Amino acid sequence: MKKRIYRNPVGVSRYTGLLLILPFIGGFLLFTLYPFICSFVLGLTEYDNIRPPEFIGVQNYRNMLSDDNLLNAIKVTFGYAAVLVPLKLVFSLLTALLLSLEIKGIGVYRTAFYIPSILGANLSVVIMWQYLFTSDGLVNQFLEIIGAAPVSWYGNPDSAIFIIILLRLWEFGSTMIIFLTALHNIPKEYYDAARVDGCGAVRAFFAITLPQLKSVIFINLVLQTISALQEFNAPYMITGGGPLRSTYTLGMLIYDEMFRYYNVGYANAVSWLMFVIIAIVVFAMYGVTGRLREDKT
Amino acid sequence: MKKIIPKVAAICCALTLSACGNKSQGSVTPPDGKLDKCTLRFSWWGGDDRHAATLKAIELWNELHPEITIIPEYGGWDGWTEKVIAQISGGTEPDIMQINYDWLVTMSADGKGFYDLNQLTDNLDLSGFEEDILSFGMVNDCLNAVTVSVSGRGLFYNSEVYKRLGASYPRTWDELIALGETFGEHSLYPLDLDIQSGGTAWYLAVVYVQQKTGRQFITMDGELGFTADDIRSALDFYKEIEDKHVIRTIQTRTDEDGNAALYQSPEFISGNIAGVLEWGSSVGKYEAVLPEGVLEAGPLLTDENGNSDGWMIKPSMLYAVSKNTRYPDESAAFIDFLLNNEDCAVILGTSRGIPASDYAEKSLELNGKLSGLAQENDEMLENLNTVTISPYMELPRMKEFYNTAIEEVSYSKTDTQTAAEEMYDSISKYLETIRK
Repeated sequence: MKKRIYRNPVGVSRYTGLLLILPFIGGFLLFTLYPFICSFVLGLTEYDNIRPPEFIGVQNYRNMLSDDNLLNAIKVTFGYAAVLVPLKLVFSLLTALLLSLEIKGIGVYRTAFYIPSILGANLSVVIMWQYLFTSDGLVNQFLEIIGAAPVSWYGNPDSAIFIIILLRLWEFGSTMIIFLTALHNIPKEYYDAARVDGCGAVRAFFAITLPQLKSVIFINLVLQTISALQEFNAPYMITGGGPLRSTYTLGMLIYDEMFRYYNVGYANAVSWLMFVIIAIVVFAMYGVTGRLREDKT
Repeated sequence: MKKIIPKVAAICCALTLSACGNKSQGSVTPPDGKLDKCTLRFSWWGGDDRHAATLKAIELWNELHPEITIIPEYGGWDGWTEKVIAQISGGTEPDIMQINYDWLVTMSADGKGFYDLNQLTDNLDLSGFEEDILSFGMVNDCLNAVTVSVSGRGLFYNSEVYKRLGASYPRTWDELIALGETFGEHSLYPLDLDIQSGGTAWYLAVVYVQQKTGRQFITMDGELGFTADDIRSALDFYKEIEDKHVIRTIQTRTDEDGNAALYQSPEFISGNIAGVLEWGSSVGKYEAVLPEGVLEAGPLLTDENGNSDGWMIKPSMLYAVSKNTRYPDESAAFIDFLLNNEDCAVILGTSRGIPASDYAEKSLELNGKLSGLAQENDEMLENLNTVTISPYMELPRMKEFYNTAIEEVSYSKTDTQTAAEEMYDSISKYLETIRK
């Protein structure tokens, strides 16, 4: 049999592909890899943004060992991620299930649910949160109507983190979209066959939907965990890290050291610590969920 | 590949370290005494009143000097230092900057962080400034900046609320504390302090102790003047005014206002909070949110013997020229216009406090503009034995120490003795590092 020769349909050379990805490679080297290495180098220096940096070896890393603020920031960040990520995944999945129903006008609902994700933690959201959660805010007014005691949302160190969590939970759009797409990709035949065998909706969810979504759940888990561990904007805008540093995340500490206290070397060293922490968490997730993800259904 | 990676890393190291320091050393543009056609960037922070006045002043400049265009860059105080330090770090700072007093310590410790304005006197007239006022901007024999105004923090009250309750403005610390009960009966507060960017909570406590002991909290050369006991007294005083309902507790304030500044607080705007402590040069933002004439300057507090020492003054802000500017003469001319021009002074009014320049002050006086809260506060301070604040006191890391202690005491997380000892140690160590 004569071997068929495939020709490049647009008749370009093998270097064309390389040429086409060159802007990306250039951008990656300049705006990702170079700052990445710069950050590591600066982490080995004492630098105040004004005077030339002075090489001090691993002193910044040693200083971390006695930094109570850093320890507190790590605790706050992990506590925040541990509560937010599972809640967000469950909430996004349930909403995606509702929005996967084929009812009239579902497109409008999907758009509406996605809008909060576009807003982010900007000034208008900060003002809205103040209307909702300050002592005379709408949430406390509602609690009063139903006879419940008002909550010190902003002022109580134990509850302040929850208004940040609620904001990020409200912005569940991107996670939900990923679930929604995955739900659409599950063949309908599975559900039809299950129904014929007398399987109810709840059992179908656990026996068909969840196993089919395993890899997507994992992707969302990883993405949301990374995002939560890097949290900066919401606490910075809404609580300023207070009260009593109860919402002071690792991201805020890096920002303060870098821009408020001119401690550039230390800020970069902590950035690298954050990078290592996130890498360990993600690898651990891969390890723990490895067998689960590989199981065929 | 194994050989390439270390080489790439080494190049990056070299690039990083060389890019970070000495970006422009040796490239300072010398003055030539002429005003060329150019575009200059001018940045400042402030409230809406200051923005509006400054933009009008720039319009006047553009009419007088159409060949030199000024591009304004302005915003609120929160985050402003971070923005400017990032610009300076990248060598992209504006040609002319309104700077804060402590920036001279952090950004120009050797006097080389800003242009030496002594070289620009052909276009910058400094004859309207007293020597001690000019000395605020001197670092290492270089005139890094010119003081715009000298200001002190004063007490300002909502006159309507005080009248309604039949209360008089307090004259002594004891009278202030007694007001807590009167106002508390109506669920109001006679005063409020904060631990945000203003940091007025610690400031008032320092004034109280400085008046009591005669010791300055931080000396001009960056030494801690207070003992641990003095710091404890300050924290005790703060706790007392919280407990006696003179000011809101931090938890109440945070619950009511979220992260908003006091002048944006619905509690202040509605009159539930009837007093603030603020720089005379910045009180306009509080004045602007209340009906006209409602905010009034109150007396600066004394002890029971009438001792009024301890109140602090400082250069409220200064103008500096970037060492990287290509147009030093033109920048100096614009600063001269802002500081000395009589018409400009009338437009700017007291939006930056009472001008330090004699020419501007006389112009305001002639035009009947030397009035208002800033002026009233200034007059009160003139009659007191004031202390000039140390630039070290306002460093951001120092504010973190004050606010941490105040917050822990307010939430009763720790007692005042422990908080004072921790604060004393932290400040002593930090000042030692920063003075190196």
